[in-house]
Parts: sequence; C-alpha cells; structure tokens
Amino acid sequence: MIFQCEDLDRALRSPELMPDARAHARNCPRCSEQLYLWSEISRLAPGLHEEWDSPELWPAIRSGMEAAATSRRFPVWRWPLAAAAVIVLAASLFLPWRGRPQSRDFLTEDALREVQQAESAYARSIDRLSKMAGADPSRSPLADVYREKLALLDSAIADVKANLQNNRYNVYLQNQLASLYREKQRTLQEWLENGK
Amino acid sequence: MRTTFPTIAGVPASKGRNEKQNRMAGVAGSIVPRMPSTDYASESELLAACRRQDVRAFEQLYRTHGARLKSMAYHIVGNRQDAEDAVQETFLKLYRAIQGFQGQSSLGTWLCRIAINVCYDVARKRQRNTEAPGERHATHNDQSPLRVALQDALRRINPRHRMVFLLFEVEGLRHAEIAAILEVPEGTSKAWLFEAKKELKRLLSETRP
Repeated sequence: MIFQCEDLDRALRSPELMPDARAHARNCPRCSEQLYLWSEISRLAPGLHEEWDSPELWPAIRSGMEAAATSRRFPVWRWPLAAAAVIVLAASLFLPWRGRPQSRDFLTEDALREVQQAESAYARSIDRLSKMAGADPSRSPLADVYREKLALLDSAIADVKANLQNNRYNVYLQNQLASLYREKQRTLQEWLENGK
Repeated sequence: MRTTFPTIAGVPASKGRNEKQNRMAGVAGSIVPRMPSTDYASESELLAACRRQDVRAFEQLYRTHGARLKSMAYHIVGNRQDAEDAVQETFLKLYRAIQGFQGQSSLGTWLCRIAINVCYDVARKRQRNTEAPGERHATHNDQSPLRVALQDALRRINPRHRMVFLLFEVEGLRHAEIAAILEVPEGTSKAWLFEAKKELKRLLSETRP
C-alpha cells in the first residue's frame, strides 16, 4: 500500500495500518509531528490525574450523613405540617359548635311571637276580604270556582295550622302558611275585581 | 464482614501504567494498605450495609473511589475546592438515595454517574456566577509545555469526548465501565475517545511552533 498523508487519520483508528504510517512518517515531517502528538497525548494523560490531601473531606461527608440521618428521624419539614394538621383538626371539631349558624328550621320564642302576630293581623284582613267576597250572592260558575278554591285553601290552612301546633318553631311550615294566606288574599282580590 | 480486601464491581482495573493509578483505582492489593477489619468483602455486603445507612460502608466507598472522584471532579469544575464540594455532595446524594438503588450497575458505577452530574451542576452554577474561577491548574511536578498545552486543550474539546478521555486515559477506566457510567454503548465510548484525541491533536498542533 502506498501510504498518503490523508491516510493518517484512518491509520490512527486502525492499528494494522500503523506500521505503514510510521514508515511514511520517516520521510514526512508533518505526519511525523502528528504521530508524535498522538502518542504524547496518551503518554501525558495519566499525569493529568490530580491528587491532593483532603483531610477534612471525609469528616465533612460523615457529618453531612449524620445530619441527614437526624433530619430523617425528626424531619424539620414535618413540624409545621403537624402543627397545621392539629390546627385544622381543632378548628373542624370546635367551629361546628361555636360558629354553626342557627338552624333555619327552628325559630326563637321572640321570632315566633312576631310571626304569629303578623299572621293574626294578616288573617284578620283576609277575613274581612272574605266577608266582602262572601256577600256576593251570585251563583255564577266563576263565583263557584272561587268558592271551591277558597274552601281548598282554607282546608290547607287548617292542616298547616294543625301541624304547627305540634312544631311551633318550624320555619318551613310558617312559610307554607304565609304562602297559603297570600294565595287566599290573591284569590279573594281577583274575585272581588271580577265581581264588580 | 471480613478482613479481606474489597473487590467492588465497577472499580477500574489497573492497566498497569503507573503506581499512582493503581493505588487510585484500588485494585492492586500489593501497594494498597490493607483495609481495617471492618471492611465489607463483597459488593452485596457493601450494598446491604449502605442500605442500613452504615456510615462505615460509605467510608469504604470513599476510600476506594474518593481519589478518582476528586480528580475527575477537578477536571470538570476546575479547582480543588469545588471538586471537594462536588465529591461531598456526591456522597450525600448517594446516602440519601441508596434505598432507591436497584443494583442494575455496581455501586462504583452509580457513584461515578452521580459525581458527573453533580460536577456539571457545580460547573453550571459557577458559570452563572461571575466570580473568578479560582486556580485552574494545580502545581504539578511535570510542567512541560506540552502537558500544560494538553491540559488547556482538554478544556476546549467537546464535553462528552472530554469525559471519555478523562475516564479512560486519565483515570484508567475500561470502555465497558465508561459505557456503563455514561449509559452509552461501548462502541460509542471508543468513538468518543478517538474524537477526543483527534481534537486534542489538532489543538496541540496549533500551539506548536
């Protein structure tokens, strides 16, 4: 094989070409220099290993490990977390009793008295309306429908009142009674207006 | 625990180049002082002790690998203080993560892999900071111009190629070990070494009169 300068890289990769490369380098200063540098790199490389005494390095590592072991046994991050958990638990146990809003299904005695007074006044005014409407002597189909509806409403009002006797503080029943009175009022007003 | 000399898989075998490398690699029993009786004889014993967080096991790893890790770290981070910090961080990471080590590679290989990552982290942080890098070259007996030029050139080549060059030519590891550390095929390790030497040769040629 006739070895050329450009074959040098291939020779460096393939040891079997090295004898040819060396033979060529004897008469080629450039390739000779390249071969020299190539071998010098490997010769000098082990000398680049750096070694120095570090008497404090292992003690520092050991201290770090011991600190890591301690923090693992008593992890610092767990304390705030535990405190937060205790606070949340206490709040969840305490607040329902302390801060819980009063049930809407129950009324206080004062509130009940107010509602009953208003209801009585409302009922009286509706009774007056009822008397006025009841004075209508017509037996028209429309008047019969109004009478029938009012009878139903009176029946419902009586039922709700009976229930309220057993549960005077029940807001739901109070609301139901109020809405029945409103409906009775509306019906009576309609009857009077249509009867005119 | 036995009194025999530890043989840890992944510890580079001696290529018979010089005494310092043999001592460093920790495989030439004739020149390495005998370990105290607390040493773990096998990799599995050592690993089990590490998993028990036995500090003596980590000390054994330090004695076996510490010098090589320091040198490797020095070449990546550029000064001794940062190199020592990197080695310290490497061992602490190993200590914290040992329970998760599955044993697919040897402890030495894993340690080296951690060290490389830590060193690159340190080097990146230092690059971000504008402070002076500190000493770049330690005083060395052999301060021939070519050696100094080689050390300078080494900093300028492709980092992956440089890593293989450091591990193979400077620290004396085999390609199989380098491949395991860098998680590349062995052929890639060989190819990167060739590229490293080619780059170094080109850079050295430019500095030659």
